[in-house]
Amino acid sequence: MGGLEKKKYERGAATNYITRNRARKKLQLSLPDFRRLCILKGIYPHEPKHKKKVNKGSTAPRTFYLLKDIKFLLHEPIVNKFREYKVFVRKLRKAYGKSEWGTVERLKDNKPTYKLDHIVKERYPTFIDALRDLDDALSMCFLFSTFPRTGKCHVQTIQLCRRLAVEFQNYVIASRSLRKVFLSIKGIYYQAEVLGQPITWITPYAFAHDHPTDVDYRVMATFTEFYTTLLGFVNFRLYQSLNLVYPPKIDSQAEDELKPAEGKEYAMDSESYLEKLSGLSASLARAVAPTHEDEVEMDEFPVEGETAELMDAKKKEQEALEKHKKLFEGLRFFLNREVPREPLAFVIRCFGGQVSWDKSLCIGATYEATDPSITHHIIDRPHLDKQVVGRYYLQPQWVFDSVNAKLCLPVADYFPGVLLPPHLSPFVTEKEGDYVPPEKLKLLALQRGENPGAGYEESEEEEEEEEEEEEEGDNDKEEEEDESEKEEEMKLQKMEEQKTQSTQSNKVTAGKVRVEDKQRLEQEQQSEEKRLAIMMMKKREKYLYKKIMFGKKRKIREANKLAEKRKAHDAALKEQKKKKKKARQA
Amino acid sequence: ATSASFPPFTRLPHEMAAAESFLAFNPAARPGPAAASRRRYRGPRNRKKGWKRWSGPEAQLGREIGDFLEDVGLQERAAGGLISEQIFGITPNYSPSKIFRIIFGFFFFCSICAHQTPNGRKEKRRRQFWEKKAEKGIFPREERKLRARLNREGDPKKSPKSQKPPELGRFCDPLSDPLDAPLAGQDPWFLQQTKKMPVQRPPRLQVKPSPLPPVEVIGQGGSYNPPFQDHQVWGGFGGSWGGIGGPGGVLRGFWGVLGEFWGVLKGFEGGQVQAGHSAAPGPVPAALWAGSGVTRGHSVVTPGHSQDNDKARSRLVTLQHQALFQLRSLRRSLRFRDLELRRRRLLRERRRKILETAPKRLGRQRWGLGFWDLGFGPEGSVLRDRFKSLQRRNLIEPRARARSGTGKKSKFGGKKQKFGAKSENLGGKSPNSGGKKFKFG
Repeated sequence: MGGLEKKKYERGAATNYITRNRARKKLQLSLPDFRRLCILKGIYPHEPKHKKKVNKGSTAPRTFYLLKDIKFLLHEPIVNKFREYKVFVRKLRKAYGKSEWGTVERLKDNKPTYKLDHIVKERYPTFIDALRDLDDALSMCFLFSTFPRTGKCHVQTIQLCRRLAVEFQNYVIASRSLRKVFLSIKGIYYQAEVLGQPITWITPYAFAHDHPTDVDYRVMATFTEFYTTLLGFVNFRLYQSLNLVYPPKIDSQAEDELKPAEGKEYAMDSESYLEKLSGLSASLARAVAPTHEDEVEMDEFPVEGETAELMDAKKKEQEALEKHKKLFEGLRFFLNREVPREPLAFVIRCFGGQVSWDKSLCIGATYEATDPSITHHIIDRPHLDKQVVGRYYLQPQWVFDSVNAKLCLPVADYFPGVLLPPHLSPFVTEKEGDYVPPEKLKLLALQRGENPGAGYEESEEEEEEEEEEEEEGDNDKEEEEDESEKEEEMKLQKMEEQKTQSTQSNKVTAGKVRVEDKQRLEQEQQSEEKRLAIMMMKKREKYLYKKIMFGKKRKIREANKLAEKRKAHDAALKEQKKKKKKARQA
Repeated sequence: ATSASFPPFTRLPHEMAAAESFLAFNPAARPGPAAASRRRYRGPRNRKKGWKRWSGPEAQLGREIGDFLEDVGLQERAAGGLISEQIFGITPNYSPSKIFRIIFGFFFFCSICAHQTPNGRKEKRRRQFWEKKAEKGIFPREERKLRARLNREGDPKKSPKSQKPPELGRFCDPLSDPLDAPLAGQDPWFLQQTKKMPVQRPPRLQVKPSPLPPVEVIGQGGSYNPPFQDHQVWGGFGGSWGGIGGPGGVLRGFWGVLGEFWGVLKGFEGGQVQAGHSAAPGPVPAALWAGSGVTRGHSVVTPGHSQDNDKARSRLVTLQHQALFQLRSLRRSLRFRDLELRRRRLLRERRRKILETAPKRLGRQRWGLGFWDLGFGPEGSVLRDRFKSLQRRNLIEPRARARSGTGKKSKFGGKKQKFGAKSENLGGKSPNSGGKKFKFG
């Protein structure tokens, strides 16, 4: 035959991939260093299409990287830094071992460090790219900023994360870009819109840490290291875009307000600055003083291909957005001490409200609880003894629900001690045919500007009754749907009976004008056609058709089930209430 | 194989070198320090053999080559030229057998060299192969790439020089390396290779390995209000709490949906009539329908009209009706089938596309893990949530639980307990002091 012998695994997929260990050896790095490098550079493992082919016939679980990626890593200057650091550690250990303290000092002074700036620039060529990847960065920073300083990770990292997170929060407040909040058991989800990009992040509740053991802290710390660098750049750029001073400074006017009256300060200005900032109660200084122009309306030129309707819709949307941004404008909130201060202050300030808290709770309180101008007092206890007239006492959920509903919700549902309506997620997208909780329906009606059931502000019972009626009506519908076929059959039977009756009674009666119900006739005809069509189908088609219909029915059934559960739940609640009432009366 | 091809009287070169009969110019034959140099310094004898110790057949050959070259030098110095030249040139002093030996020794050396190159013959063939191909204008891949590069540089559109803005004025940076000056504005590839410019990130790395969002917001079941128990009740149905229809969307009638479907069909029917479907059979005999209750609603029978004629007419009418229905239904079923097949094809294609483009999950559990298995439940720590999310998006490899130091500790503890037990046996001491006691004893 002749020709060269073709060897296995020397061409094709096998040559495109490289195992982690081989890559590590090629780069002359230890495994942790290699991992760190990959995370920093954004090189991720790949799953080959045919693992066995790449793995030289073996099925051992191995991690593969693209050879190209590893070759790209070879050029990275940080690799050298890693190696230098390895040497540094070796030397340091040796010096310690020999107790050569002078050498130790010298070595420590010359400790090799690396910067990630160039990697950030490389990975995010444009600012929008960086913004798109901000979800992870923010979540990580907020998470690390809540870590206890117990040595799980560096204290400096925690402090840096805290600073960056506070800076970002201040930016969101200044730009009023928050859109959605959802309080979950795990943490609080926020969504902001920064330069047209929706950015979602999650923040854990303060002091709620059990430290999971199945999480690799080193990996997370490496991610955080990179993301803090990224967030630093992004924050700077964002502050620039708003004409704010970076690093953030509190507005001088606000600073005066913040100064304690007695002149007793518990810390120096420089020390407590971050804390003041993290109070989130003061506005930030601007690089160029804002000039209060009369809001000049820009001339709008229609873009080509855009109809007037579209323009109108856009304009309406814009108006709604502006309204949403100014949701709490003019309102003055006071947070009681048991209320989670930071999320509430953040959300309230994001929508233009003013907020304060007890002086002893946190730095940055601007007015006291006795201030008569307070409109909303947020408390989270069943009742308050001394209530001031002229302000609403509300549970914290009102703030979040109002933000999500884009309007100040009626306060009656949120009075202290009242059973709250469920906290609905604003992140859920609407789909047809799914179960909608009645609360959501009500909310939608409110948003549309209707008053859902005049009984809303009337007594509770009435409302309940109404609800019941509604539900009953719903139920009827459901039954109709379920048994519509049967009903049709029934109708047919009735008609037949009528006919037979008419044939049986041989009396001649005065002729009645038959009112021909056109619609009904049409319906009948249609249903008839349907039945026939189904009958005439081939077996395969019929099977298919039934399958489709079954799927649809199941969906409806599921929705009905949920509705029923809800009804049962409500009924149970109502009974409980009645019992309570009776007990009270007795 | 090589030795077989030589005549029986030939010896190996080192044998020849050692043989007295061989040229006396051999360094081994020389008296004095040259002879002593035969005994090679083999490094410190009490050390292990390292890579410095030069041994093996290649080393032998190398040494012989060295000898040979030294020999050549010696010849040139002593005899004023190579002996072989002298042989063939002016003074044939040697016997023919000696001459043969000299010449043969040289060629044998050459042949050994060729033999010793790893894959020498193959490489030679390959070289020849590519030479032949090059004559036809076909080059190996590497060369093709380089040539393409060259061509590209020749292209004025893409050359980096033309993209560079014109220099406004000469600015002399005192800190800059003057050797870098000629590199300015050079070909980026060249600069990258000479480490004067960071290597560009390839665009394929800008694509995320997974299209999943970084932060997946959990459904409404995950909030604190209503209380957790209620969530368990409501969410017990498989976690599909979240959907929200439009107002009144839930309770849309089943038949309503169906009606819509038929509406679509009707529209379809009206729009296009396919010529290909002529499969509609003729009307089915009336007997087929006679027994079924289909005809009920349509024949209007009043007691006054009992004549045969009327009956027949009404029957005819119903039959016609039925035939019409039947035809319609047939056509409809065909359309329906067509629609359905098209829908299924679309679905299949879409699914295939998703499967093709979607990145595989890393690790063993490639497809199986669902949403809730990965710790995305309503409760749980944000840290784990983040970690799992990273794993899910293929950013880091999914690994089994990181091993903490517990395993080692337990082992150690076991030992300690042993000590304690022993000490207790000995004198009822506490386990902590047990070890010490044991030592002293």
